[in-house]
Amino acid sequence: MSDMITFPDVVNWAVPFFIAAILAELLWIVIKGRGGRYETRDALTSLLMGAGNVASGIVLGFVAYGFFMALWAITPLDLGTSFWTIALCFVLDDLRYYWVHRFGHRIRWVWASHVNHHSSQHYNLTTALRQTWTGTFTFMMVMRAPLVLMGFHPGMVLFVGGLNLIYQFWIHTEAISRLPRWFEAVMNTPSHHRVHHGRNPRYLDCNYAGVFIIWDKLFGTFVPELDSEKVDYGLVHNLGTFNPLRVAFHEWVGIYRDATQPGLGWRERLNYCVMPPGWSHDGSRSTSLDIKARYVSQYPDSAGSPGLPYTEIKGQNTRP
Amino acid sequence: MPLSVLLPLVGVGIIGIAVMLHVLGLSRAAQLPDEVAAKAAWLREFPDHTPTRVILSHDHHAALIETDDGPGVVWAMGADTTARALSGARIRRTAKGLRIDLPDFTAPHIHLRLDPDEAAHWPTYMKDSA
Repeated sequence: MSDMITFPDVVNWAVPFFIAAILAELLWIVIKGRGGRYETRDALTSLLMGAGNVASGIVLGFVAYGFFMALWAITPLDLGTSFWTIALCFVLDDLRYYWVHRFGHRIRWVWASHVNHHSSQHYNLTTALRQTWTGTFTFMMVMRAPLVLMGFHPGMVLFVGGLNLIYQFWIHTEAISRLPRWFEAVMNTPSHHRVHHGRNPRYLDCNYAGVFIIWDKLFGTFVPELDSEKVDYGLVHNLGTFNPLRVAFHEWVGIYRDATQPGLGWRERLNYCVMPPGWSHDGSRSTSLDIKARYVSQYPDSAGSPGLPYTEIKGQNTRP
Repeated sequence: MPLSVLLPLVGVGIIGIAVMLHVLGLSRAAQLPDEVAAKAAWLREFPDHTPTRVILSHDHHAALIETDDGPGVVWAMGADTTARALSGARIRRTAKGLRIDLPDFTAPHIHLRLDPDEAAHWPTYMKDSA
């Protein structure tokens, strides 16, 4: 076993690039008068969330790394560190990212960590840095376990994960409209990811890809950006605070309040943790499926168009 | 990257970008040009609660909303807006207008800049329609 292999912490090394790219995008917007929006407190909150993410990685990173090294100690497989091994690891890790991201939108416990990334009503390069402080507590590290058990070194798995994160940085922009068709067909792009950040009913819960958009096309979650419907960024219920602590922890507090309210059975308490965001024991709230169904009932002509169900019946997406 | 380099880089980067944005005039709060805009901002957050009355603040940074389900408020969140229903709200006069405390972790305190006449009357509307 090659235990002493080290890979660079690419995300930290990319920090100067992040700062330079943000300044470049800002200047482009100011000079050209188009290509996105910036606002001071929104951007400051995003940047502080990014700094907190790095800090939480330094403080809690040992949990995931210890878990991976424990798996590495028991696996008999070692695929080495050739270029093609790293490339394969990158692709498989992107598939892993797709599912973690999808769980992040469909399981409230994971959404509690991921929601802060969607909490800005802006979409610019600082939004990319609005990252979670609480990812360790989602236990989604288990999704990387198969890669380690297959013989990819833990350092390599974290390295390609860092490359994945860096790739996703530049797609958080309105300054780039569409890229060549072949690129849009295979890769995640600003256009595809703008849709992912939309709060419009049709744009909810789609385009989970990290690097390769093919995963969404493969698993039926791809929705194209429509010229006829501008993306409205943010959450279904937008926050009323820029306080990074509230941004980071608000959904965890929501889960706690919901799951500990009096008069519930254990199954309902559990469901408040694991059902999709918007689920409630009395049906008083709306999940993304409810919101889409209600939209179709209000606008029947939209039924079956990208991102919307064919019928207005809650939770159904079948052809009539 | 060593922490001795990373930490100053992050600190200077964050402060520098924030100062630059402010100097470029990008700290201006959103304005609601008219009642139609305020109604649209409310419906963006509460599409099923149609306003029955909209009262715009004098500076156009906030609006009091009345609905059949109770009162609410729309206010500027940076360059954008958000809205909350006022159930469970505690409302206090301040030197610059009103402070609304809500039992809501995502919007615990709403500070509305109102002129003295608005600050005197808005709490009445908020209670009357609650």
